[in-house]
Amino acid sequence: MSLPVLAVNELAMKFGNSEVFKNVSFSVEAGETFGLFGKSGSGKTTIGRCIVGLEKPTYGKILVQGKDILRMGKKEFRELRPKVQMIFQHPETSLDPRMKAFENLIEPLKLHSGLKKNALLERGEELAELTGLRPEHLARYPSHLSGGEIQRIVLARIMSLSPAFVVADEPTSMLDVSVQAQILRLMQKLQKETGVSYLLISHDLEVLRRVCHRIAYLEDGTITSVENIKRGINT
Amino acid sequence: MDNIFADKFRKEGLLLPEAYGSDFVKKVFQRKDMLFALVALLLFIGLALFAPLISPYNPNTIDLKNKNLSPSGEHLLGTDYLGRDLLSRILIGAQTSLSIAFGVVLISLLFGTVMGCAAGYYGGIVDETLSRVIDIFLSFPGVIFALTILGVLGSGVFNLILALSIVQWAHYARVMRGQVLSLKRQEFVLSAVTSGAGDFYIIRKHIVPNAIAPVLVLATIDLGHVILSIATLSFLGIGLPADIPEWGAMLSAGKEFMRTAPYQTIFPGLAITFFVVIFSILGDGIRDILDPNHEGGEIY
Amino acid sequence: MSLIEINDLSVEFHTGEDSVKAVSHASFDIKEGETFGLIGESGSGKSVIGLAILRLLPTNAEVSGNIFFQGQDIFSIKPSELRKIRGKHIALMPQNPAGSLNPVLKNGLQIKEVYEERGIDKKEGIKKALKLMEKLLLKDPEKLLDLYPHQLSGGMRQRLIACMSLSFEPELLIADEPTKGLDPEAKAGAVDLFTKIKKEYGKTMLLITHDLDLALEVCDRIAVMYAGEIVELDEASKVLSEPLHPYTRGLIRAHPRNGLVPLIGQSPSRIRLPEGCFFHERCKNSGFECSRQHPEMKTHNGGWIRCHFQSLQ
Repeated sequence: MSLPVLAVNELAMKFGNSEVFKNVSFSVEAGETFGLFGKSGSGKTTIGRCIVGLEKPTYGKILVQGKDILRMGKKEFRELRPKVQMIFQHPETSLDPRMKAFENLIEPLKLHSGLKKNALLERGEELAELTGLRPEHLARYPSHLSGGEIQRIVLARIMSLSPAFVVADEPTSMLDVSVQAQILRLMQKLQKETGVSYLLISHDLEVLRRVCHRIAYLEDGTITSVENIKRGINT
Repeated sequence: MDNIFADKFRKEGLLLPEAYGSDFVKKVFQRKDMLFALVALLLFIGLALFAPLISPYNPNTIDLKNKNLSPSGEHLLGTDYLGRDLLSRILIGAQTSLSIAFGVVLISLLFGTVMGCAAGYYGGIVDETLSRVIDIFLSFPGVIFALTILGVLGSGVFNLILALSIVQWAHYARVMRGQVLSLKRQEFVLSAVTSGAGDFYIIRKHIVPNAIAPVLVLATIDLGHVILSIATLSFLGIGLPADIPEWGAMLSAGKEFMRTAPYQTIFPGLAITFFVVIFSILGDGIRDILDPNHEGGEIY
Repeated sequence: MSLIEINDLSVEFHTGEDSVKAVSHASFDIKEGETFGLIGESGSGKSVIGLAILRLLPTNAEVSGNIFFQGQDIFSIKPSELRKIRGKHIALMPQNPAGSLNPVLKNGLQIKEVYEERGIDKKEGIKKALKLMEKLLLKDPEKLLDLYPHQLSGGMRQRLIACMSLSFEPELLIADEPTKGLDPEAKAGAVDLFTKIKKEYGKTMLLITHDLDLALEVCDRIAVMYAGEIVELDEASKVLSEPLHPYTRGLIRAHPRNGLVPLIGQSPSRIRLPEGCFFHERCKNSGFECSRQHPEMKTHNGGWIRCHFQSLQ
């Protein structure tokens, strides 16, 4: 049996005396969309941020492809980092406002691929097309893009790193219903093509039921149940 | 992959970050007050640069026969109590004031920005330490603090720049720290972190460009304030040696002849006011232009 | 009788060389006591109509058409009289409840201010406010008055704003995206809130939203907007259960409950709108006529629709 892409073991987080969550354990298989359901303030965003290494939990293990990112050397973690990416809730602050959409898109490529200018342009164009962006979007500053267009650029940007795992923290809660459907379907398409796994964090059960393979319910700071979803309706 | 994509990119100047700058210049030209201030400033910087060539007299030549003269064809702005030509002294004085002001602002801007950036970005013990230092420097009243430093170092152009920079840098550090603190929590910075970008890259590429606007506004307005501080120190008789013409010193010397020869205080005073006003117009304008929320019309 | 009548309203924003057509030829009326919904994606122009009614558009907006409020032409009112209309006769419930309350003032003080503006003394103002708060499903209103805005949940803040908006007893209440970004529980709360306002007060309301559930529960009639135009207008239950316009159908099918089926493509650029029907590039039923001729609003089965093929559907 192959290792899960992500395994979270007995994760706990305390701020001072108050416990945000405790004893949170779950694992996500390759190519799976795993839903994390919780009300606002339930700590689900903090769990997501711990997984991508933006916050440190008080206790527990986070195993990415079998290796614990919390007990890893700096260099090793840096090499692993591109494999674990995150999409944030608020599109309006997800891109650098002083860089054009395309510059935002190719930033990770510039950092990691070592591609030269023309190859960089071409790869960026491919990614833009993959995520359904039009050329005129790419030449704009983020303030002139809609929420849906920004989330597409975020997805293109993330995909340039060929991640094994993406934490999507309420990626569509600020979007219109019709745009939400487009973005979620795009995420499914990318999953089919690349085999990426998602941890989809949301407070909208209808959305989770529609796109996830499994859903974990976060209540009172811990996971109370995990539901298997038979997908295949309209997918 | 069709070529329309690629062509379009190059045409739209997709990879040229300068585009933001050209926008800035365009907006400056749309504002009449800023354009006026900018032209006036450049004109006077030009006059100051060529002051030695265009001054009608040597600013330090004493001519006691012609002291305390009112403006006339020979001395356009009159003469002072030692018979020195006021116009020549104001022009050379502009050189002194402007170069000290730019020097002070540049040094405190650079040092303050670096300190503020470090405090805001690294947080924790670095922030604790730097913030206390910043608070200490902010708690001294500016002119008195500068006076003390000059008292220890002695007068002179270099020491004056140093003293005023020591007084000013903490203001920049404080503004920068606040900016960085709010920026580093924003999603685009976090996604640069998760993409594996290093601290230095993130600071250079994302933090500084987004945080610098209010610091630049502060710097522009500060240019006026520093000119005022120099004048204050000279007025008090500390700061610059007597052989360097300076507006504050001229004001101070002229005050004894207020009744008989008021021009000796009026003209240097006007020069000081003029620069302070010019720099505040420019500072206000830059603030409006750099503030993305200032633009009308983008409601949806 | 119509409380407000909007006739052929167009709004264009001039930015540099381009002009953006935010609203084109929108016409509708809201009857007294009616709840009217404007439905559409962000950028469809629905909020612009709300701002136009209050004459709060920025200076680079060019407006044509008329808005009659109680028979009075809004665009020809003097600025001094406009201030009397805003708040007192037409109240706006803003989109972002968190940003609409002063964070350093206790809730009670904020409400008091509204009554003071009206010349009602403090004690009586508080009494009235408490009554209103109780009615709008806020528990322990006395306690709430002593808290700061950040100590309230999103849903409670919204109710507080509703109380402030209603305190002037306006004839028309405009609510802009009241459920955006709220979690499902708070959304359900908002539905209750607006049902209450409607039933208890019989208020005339204009609800600007992209939340179809809210629209179905609360609105009597709705207008669906696409690319600055009204494309369908009818009774809410009719539009949402048997939509006629292909865009409305797509919007409903995109809802997670109805299959999360996305509409293909994206809304057109509002600087250069497509020829013919604005929706034809994304429409499955698009025919020859659709790419050539822009459809006009037509009556159909008691409602209005802007589509060449309405009779076929």
